Amino acid sequence: MKRLVNILGVLLTTALLTAGVAAAASLNLGTGQLGAGSAAVSGCTSSSLTATRNVNNSGDVTEVDVLNVPQACAGEVLSVTLQGTAGASLGSAVAIVGTCTGGCTAPVTGFGTVSAASLTGYAVSLVQ
Amino acid sequence: MRAFRLTPLRLVAGVALGSLSFAGVGYAASLGLSSKSLHAWTQTLTKGACNQTSSTADDTYVQQAGPNSNSGATDTTLTIGGAAGSQDYAFLRFNLSGCGLPTTAGADSAVLTLTVTSKSNDTISVFPVFTGWSSSTLSWNGVGGLTIGSSATTTFVPSSTGALTVPVTADVDAAIKAGTFWGWELRDTSGTSTSAVGSSENPAAGKRPSMTLNYEK
Repeated sequence: MKRLVNILGVLLTTALLTAGVAAAASLNLGTGQLGAGSAAVSGCTSSSLTATRNVNNSGDVTEVDVLNVPQACAGEVLSVTLQGTAGASLGSAVAIVGTCTGGCTAPVTGFGTVSAASLTGYAVSLVQ
Repeated sequence: MRAFRLTPLRLVAGVALGSLSFAGVGYAASLGLSSKSLHAWTQTLTKGACNQTSSTADDTYVQQAGPNSNSGATDTTLTIGGAAGSQDYAFLRFNLSGCGLPTTAGADSAVLTLTVTSKSNDTISVFPVFTGWSSSTLSWNGVGGLTIGSSATTTFVPSSTGALTVPVTADVDAAIKAGTFWGWELRDTSGTSTSAVGSSENPAAGKRPSMTLNYEK
């Protein structure tokens, strides 16, 4: 009988634990009411930072530098797309903003072979 | 059935298991609360040209055989020689201040046009110069005080007389971003012959150096 009591105790506890986890896992899947809300996410910058590019002697883009990135953006994901005529993408690359003192220059490389002469602009995004 | 008796061991086990259960709920409740925002923007580039002629050029050459002499104001050609003990280096730059380019601008293409007046089969290497110089004062002994790139941007062989073009896009692009442009040193790096190109004082306007520059800003 003592063994039966212990077994029942373990089973009961396990059932309660499973119910807790199951309840947690089932969040958002139930048919109850939806509670909605919003909260502002404060990013490291809201400025449209200036980008400039370097070229090799053949005139192909070797690197895009995004200038004056705030220190607070260190570790965030920076994406640059080189745009051609009518905004067509000529190449894209992604970099992680590094740490620095003062305003950072964030270099982005890996665009492939893109002639600077065909560039009409940049599309830049920062996940922050 | 016997009544369930709460022993210390069972109490500890119950608290521990209960905590795990709440941890599971807590973890689930935090889902979706870690958020990032996407900040996106575009930048449009403006294209233009700012071609350079002898009117904005400054050039000279220095002579190892005359280490204190200066010939920038008068010589109509720039001599480039590779003979040991009597080497000649040419220096050439353009004043880009009239282009009104900010340091965020860049060269899409920059091509130097030189006219070979005395040919050789030696290789001439084009090194960027990073510190200031003037054709009215530069001498062989003054070259040591300049900061000159350790690697040539490009090379050419003046194997025939007449015009030749030399791409210098990378140097001009870098100079625009640096805000100062001090041109190039032209040095014979392969032999002992002597060649020459027309200088900005050459009486024939067509033999003077020039540079096409297409930029973006």
